[in-house]
Amino acid sequence: MPVRVAENSAPSQVSGTNSGNTSPPACTLLSVGQAFSGTQNVSSLQKEEAWRVNVRIQGCDLEHGYLCGTMEALNVPMADTPVVTFWEGEIVDTKNYTFYTGKWEASSEDDKRHWTKFPSFSPLLNQVEVDGGKSLDLSNYPYIFMRWFYQWLLLRS
Amino acid sequence: MPSATVNNHRPSELLSRLASSEPEVKLRALREVKNQIIGNRTKKLSFLKLGAVPAVAGILADSADDVIDCNNNDCNVNNNINSILVQSAAALGSFACGFDAGVQAVLDAGAFPNLLRLLSNSNEKVVDAGARALRMIYQSKLAPKYDFLQQKNMEFLISLLNSENENVSGLGASIITNSCETSLEQKALFDAGILRRLNSLLECGSLSQKDASLESLASIFKNNSEVVSKFAGPEIERPLGSIIDLLKDRYPRTRLLACMCLIVIRSTSPNLLQDIGIKSKLIHILIELLDDPGQVGDEAPFAFSSLIAQKEDLQKLALEANAIDKLHHHLQKGSLHPRRYEGILLALADMCSKLESCRSKFLSLQVLNLVTDALTVDSADVRTAACICLKSVTRSIKNLSAGYFINEMVVVPLVQLFLDPSTSVQVAALGAISNVVVDFTTHKCIFVQCGGMKQLVQLATSMESAVRSNALWALKNFVFLADNRLKESVFSELTASLLSSLICDPEPSVQEQALALVRNLVDGCINSVEFMFAEDGLILGAIGRQLQSTVKAEIGIQGMYALCNVASGNEFHKEAVMHQLFPQMVDKNQSFMINFLQSNDSQLRTATVWTIVNLTCRSSPGAFGRLVKLRNAGIVSQIKNMVNDPCVDVKLRVRTVLGQSMAFGDN
Repeated sequence: MPVRVAENSAPSQVSGTNSGNTSPPACTLLSVGQAFSGTQNVSSLQKEEAWRVNVRIQGCDLEHGYLCGTMEALNVPMADTPVVTFWEGEIVDTKNYTFYTGKWEASSEDDKRHWTKFPSFSPLLNQVEVDGGKSLDLSNYPYIFMRWFYQWLLLRS
Repeated sequence: MPSATVNNHRPSELLSRLASSEPEVKLRALREVKNQIIGNRTKKLSFLKLGAVPAVAGILADSADDVIDCNNNDCNVNNNINSILVQSAAALGSFACGFDAGVQAVLDAGAFPNLLRLLSNSNEKVVDAGARALRMIYQSKLAPKYDFLQQKNMEFLISLLNSENENVSGLGASIITNSCETSLEQKALFDAGILRRLNSLLECGSLSQKDASLESLASIFKNNSEVVSKFAGPEIERPLGSIIDLLKDRYPRTRLLACMCLIVIRSTSPNLLQDIGIKSKLIHILIELLDDPGQVGDEAPFAFSSLIAQKEDLQKLALEANAIDKLHHHLQKGSLHPRRYEGILLALADMCSKLESCRSKFLSLQVLNLVTDALTVDSADVRTAACICLKSVTRSIKNLSAGYFINEMVVVPLVQLFLDPSTSVQVAALGAISNVVVDFTTHKCIFVQCGGMKQLVQLATSMESAVRSNALWALKNFVFLADNRLKESVFSELTASLLSSLICDPEPSVQEQALALVRNLVDGCINSVEFMFAEDGLILGAIGRQLQSTVKAEIGIQGMYALCNVASGNEFHKEAVMHQLFPQMVDKNQSFMINFLQSNDSQLRTATVWTIVNLTCRSSPGAFGRLVKLRNAGIVSQIKNMVNDPCVDVKLRVRTVLGQSMAFGDN
């Protein structure tokens, strides 16, 4: 019978000035060349639609909380071939970026509403409501939170 | 009446007049030699070849002896002797000025001790001439090293610095700038009170004294935080005030030297000079000094680089101060002195080394064309600097992704530099190409078409290890995420036997890049794994041997990931990996796997655990058998000890392994 390894999954908090590293740790899964597949839900009130997507990480700069890559959407209606786009991302590391987007008219309510869709976010919600999560120590948290932004369409030659 | 013809002034003719016994003739000849060689390198060389330096040095020696012999009664004789001393010292000084062969000749002719003797002459002009000549010598690396640790020498140095004579005190400072190297010497100079004297010269000295003091202070401070903190301690009212004041001096060279001194202090003691005011001031002054048309403007970009290198906060401030625009503006001028050209390119390289905002600015100003132009100039230093600049700019992933750099304008001149006669140019070009070939579009074939790929394979066999490892680095990046067809063409050019010998290269940096190249070759589609098995598994065997013997984490990491990728294949592949990890051992030495799992390096632990994940994944039929082997080798219990590894990445992979092993009903 499998034994569950107990873990303390609530992230610790740091008080006062930031003396140590509280950013998410380096992770082999989040590095240049890694690929993921999944779906992007683009449903609206008018219709249900989801694209199968393949993502490839092309750049990962933990120091600046930056990453980028391509996303290939496979079953986009009206597209003959897969649609490939280039995106850039922000890593929520409490140093460069917090859970609050802070731009493009995204309110903190919008942000919380979106993040709450992830079960892994719930232990963090309380602290995020206080200060956007700036004082969270994510260095031992087993999840990495990111925001990805579409940049441009890539035309395959 | 003008001198008759050129014949009278031919070097050989002058030399014979130097040998005259008549003081007047000798004096006129000395003056003539001096006048001909001043600022004229060609003349210096031709006189040198004729043996002028030993001749003049001989005159100096004889006259110095005459001074001792003379009774000071005969004024006329004294005047002649003094004039000869002055002119011979001046001539020797000119030979040494900015001309290393001249410095060497002066030293070889034994003139140095005699020049020193002039400093204690009663005649001020003689002292002055001696001091000037010695200063010229001390501007060169060939000057005799001054031993500061001898009490007598320190006293002499102090007497020089305390002199009212500008050239003499300047000589003292030059000696420090030239010879002060170790922290022991720096401390000795501090203890002898030298810094106080130099500081007072900063405040009250002449232009030349200020400049000389700034240079000496920098050499005393360099890398010695103890001396710096004593000089700029909290108890001092306005620490470094005298140096900071000179940032506003009206002479550009003084401003430059003051910047350079403060930059040395900043890098020696990072807690000093951190406020944004001083940082901005340094940036603005150096950018402004770029406009100086002379040597100051040539050296300013180098000082700018030393200020901003590796420092993102300063790069950001400099970006806001329009540094890239200004550097671009100077680059556009054309016909640049090679030193200035090199400096500007290196300054741009430093600006773009870390921040995407700087690279965007660079690209938006279309500086790229000007930099690629510099790849074909005469000066090797400029070509190297251009390559280093390209390496910085091509770190921009989003522009790489858009295929911005992989075109003929960039690739072709860089590939041409692979065959450059200068090794530093080759290595720098390889560095730039390594980034350019990380292309996520389908344009890598351009690199093959211009012959670049074949050249890289050639360079991987170079005698220079730096060239080998950088060529492998470029190949590693080239095959990253490349399609199988491209990988096959690289592999057939390289061959399994060359690759396995590079894995076992005497240089660790070469081994590491060769292993990383293999890792990238076998990544991707499952067919790529077959490269490992070419020629009877040569490469696989080389990796196994290297992992057995290496003590370097970097090599372990790349080797393990190469095996990890193979272990993601089929049963045959996984078993082949097991064979490398656990060869039939006669002795019961601990497997290197245990060492890797116990390593302090978290990346090595991660790579090793990933390999075990792949070997024991439940979907493959032979997983249980491999698990048993791993348990017998003590690997499983080692893994169990790692459930609370401080590295999250390791911890999570360990859980995966344990989860996989539990599924077999393991207890």
